[in-house]
Amino acid sequence: MIDVRKVSKSFRGKQILNKIDLKVEKGETLVIIGRSGCGKSVLLKHMIGLLKPDDGEILVDGQSTTHYSGKQWNQLRMRFGMLFQFSALFDSMTVGENVGFGLLEHTTLSSRAIRERVEESLELVGLKGIHELKPSELSGGMKKRVALARAICMRPEFLLYDEPTTGLDPIMADAINDLIVSLHDKLHVTSVAVTHDMTSAYKIGTRIAMMYQGRIIRLGKPEEIRNTDDPIVRQFITGSATGPISDIQFKSLESVEGRPVPEPGA
Amino acid sequence: MRAVVSVGRRAVDAVEYAGGVFTLLLKTLFWIAMPPFRSRQLVEQMVKIGVDSFLISTLTAFFIGVVIAFQSAYQMQKVNAEMYIPSLVAISMTREIGPILTALVVAGRVGASIAAELGSMKVTEQIDALETLATNPIKYLVTPRFIALFTMLPLLTIYADFVGICGGYLVGVYKLGLSHTMYMKMTFLPLVLKDIFSGLFKTLIFASIICTVACYEGMRVEGGAEGVGQATTRAVVTSFILIIVSDAVFTIMFYFL
Repeated sequence: MIDVRKVSKSFRGKQILNKIDLKVEKGETLVIIGRSGCGKSVLLKHMIGLLKPDDGEILVDGQSTTHYSGKQWNQLRMRFGMLFQFSALFDSMTVGENVGFGLLEHTTLSSRAIRERVEESLELVGLKGIHELKPSELSGGMKKRVALARAICMRPEFLLYDEPTTGLDPIMADAINDLIVSLHDKLHVTSVAVTHDMTSAYKIGTRIAMMYQGRIIRLGKPEEIRNTDDPIVRQFITGSATGPISDIQFKSLESVEGRPVPEPGA
Repeated sequence: MRAVVSVGRRAVDAVEYAGGVFTLLLKTLFWIAMPPFRSRQLVEQMVKIGVDSFLISTLTAFFIGVVIAFQSAYQMQKVNAEMYIPSLVAISMTREIGPILTALVVAGRVGASIAAELGSMKVTEQIDALETLATNPIKYLVTPRFIALFTMLPLLTIYADFVGICGGYLVGVYKLGLSHTMYMKMTFLPLVLKDIFSGLFKTLIFASIICTVACYEGMRVEGGAEGVGQATTRAVVTSFILIIVSDAVFTIMFYFL
């Protein structure tokens, strides 16, 4: 269980998280939705200690992480896996070395046992026989799957997904969603996913939380979110440019230029 | 008033920078002492930093040796003191030119590549990924580079000293008409171990500067490709300045010792 309690965070005077409260229950897949730049990824990075809160605390299985030493964080991180938005594969290593990185660094397993585990993890994400390839030789979707294999190779209890489907074509995005669901069923992990892709959110989430202006404004089952009458959530899930989320204002070309838009070729 | 504020802010930035670099140096030394010790990355870095810098060190040291011999001949011939040219080449190569030239060449070549590599890793979240895999980035990325530079730069310097003296030898023997015996004698006669050691001591300081500044710049990159470019430039410029300033400080110190 991950318990975020009144966490605040500012960057260069701009408040990103504002006393945010959120509880991730054991075994669920919680999806955090919200606009780009609203602080979803920042929240996710707090959960695994990549960022430290200015205020408030984060508890994992009831234990506060506020005063954790580097060593304690590393012990905790062994129970976590994280999928980064742009995969973040180590480009100096092969696919096999990437996936087996955690095992090689933190266990005394033989290279043969590691190879088997790497193979197994790659199979779980539907990839085979690409051990020796370098990340630069892979497509975006394959990179995501390799990164996912790396995240699950240590058999974590918690999986964090940062925009798992961003930048993929709709078919690959759906395949990744299926993968997340099946990993959740097979490995019984507690997952937190951050996304602004509503198709993905409905598909993978057991609960959905909407983040707005540094706080969680609505939390519920996918169908509750789908049928909500909260105008902010409605505007977001229907993807409308007009509504209460009003910091998006476009000037028409006419008002910018002060004259009508010229006809092409005129 | 505005000028005062701007100067003040720059001073604060400079102190913050120096503090950041120094803290990274201390952390690096701490992590060097901590297990596990992995040789694979170390060997990789030694090859990248040492072996791959071999050719450029050879070229620069050789031609500088030639230049020193010619430049001093220009003066020495006026007073018929050509026989001191070998000594001049030997002492200036070992005490000064060998260490600083090699350090500057390596700072330009290796410092830039470290800053760019770590910077790209930072902007593509690879450094974050390392942390999520319960691996300390300083231990994993900085310490092998540090040890590699710390061992390879002195070796490259000794080699550069030798190549530089060879350059001087060619000029002395084949252009200025000194005999082989004379050249060798006048090279080794005035050369004492202190000359070589003072040069190598400075080299260790330069190695620490190159690695720490480059890693510090790389690991704090923000803002994509532009940030990586800026960090790389800053890493080289800052290393150059620090190398030359610390060289002056230690040269003055060794003069009095």
